[in-house]
Amino acid sequence: MAFNYDNFLRVDKMPTLWCWGCGDGVVLKAYIRAIDSLGWDKNDICLVSGIGCSGRFSSYVDCNTVHTTHGRTIAFATGIKLANPDKHVVCVAGDGDALAIGGNHTIHGCRRNIDITLILINNFIYGLTNSQTSPTTPQGFWTVSQQAGNIDPTFNACKLAIAAGASFVGREKVSEPKKLEKLIAKGLAHKGFSFVEVLSNCHINLGRKNKMNSAMENLDWIDSITVSKTKYDNMSEEDRKNLLPTGILHEDDNAKEYCEMYEQVRQVHQGKRKTITQDDFAKKI
Amino acid sequence: MSSNMKAPENTPVWVNTARCKACDKCVDVCPAGVLSMQPEPSSTLGAMISVIAPESCIGCGECELTCPDFAIYVADKSEFKFSKLTDAAKQRAEAITNNKYRLPAGY
Repeated sequence: MAFNYDNFLRVDKMPTLWCWGCGDGVVLKAYIRAIDSLGWDKNDICLVSGIGCSGRFSSYVDCNTVHTTHGRTIAFATGIKLANPDKHVVCVAGDGDALAIGGNHTIHGCRRNIDITLILINNFIYGLTNSQTSPTTPQGFWTVSQQAGNIDPTFNACKLAIAAGASFVGREKVSEPKKLEKLIAKGLAHKGFSFVEVLSNCHINLGRKNKMNSAMENLDWIDSITVSKTKYDNMSEEDRKNLLPTGILHEDDNAKEYCEMYEQVRQVHQGKRKTITQDDFAKKI
Repeated sequence: MSSNMKAPENTPVWVNTARCKACDKCVDVCPAGVLSMQPEPSSTLGAMISVIAPESCIGCGECELTCPDFAIYVADKSEFKFSKLTDAAKQRAEAITNNKYRLPAGY
């Protein structure tokens, strides 16, 4: 029995508008398989996407979807989740969407630890608008906006999310679709803010001018800059330079979830309890 | 909600050509040389995926997982008796990859 993806897709929108070999399709597939492995009803899921190639997600997935403004995925999703605490809210955003214009929303979503899963598709470039420098474009790469070579230092998105307070942080690449599916499933099942960074290829707009003309060459380059977390932990500081670990990088099951705390605020206002004090939180300062 | 579909009879791997964009990814990941690109003038990139050696398929499912366009499907192990990975299949896979994902002459 082959897996039938069409049950989770808006079949009339197929084939996708993405370029040939685009990593976004692999992420979409992994997401669908992850949802199926968890056995969730698609009516209980709301997928929020922003602007960019990743924004097309909301057109293709057959569940409740919201296609929002640039960078505001977390802001919309926070509202949806607070109003429907029993539903599952998933955000899909690109690197430009979630780290540049929406960087503020991303770190504050992480800080609140609200039960949202953010799938950040990092293709190292603004792909939809033809190769402008994004916060994750490696230094020395050609982009339309920095044609002499990019000089801007890059974000390490996972370190940023851990520092901001996300309770589940993981990184995977599209060349490992089985591991990607498992990581997304774990992130979806986690209670609290789950930050899943997916390293994806954009051989059309990143690779074209940076000596990676095909999807495979671009994926080989991603393989060359990543290493599994177990190997990474055993490496010396010198070897770790310029490498990104993949796998589950941070998991904290004890952090308080925001919707639960918000429920206590409602109880205070309904007269069911007095106040919220520092004792209600695991972390005290 | 059933998430499964039935495989066509006696077929290990099949393609929905209306969705395939000929990105070469599945041909690259196939370890057994089952898939290859064939010239197809009506396609945007001038090529189309074709299953050239279904008898060599080992059922690993890598092509299905790496396909971004939901165009290729692999049968379940209960539906088709997949073969083992042979040296001839490995060589054919390498020859196809080295020949820009087209089947070289002599195969």
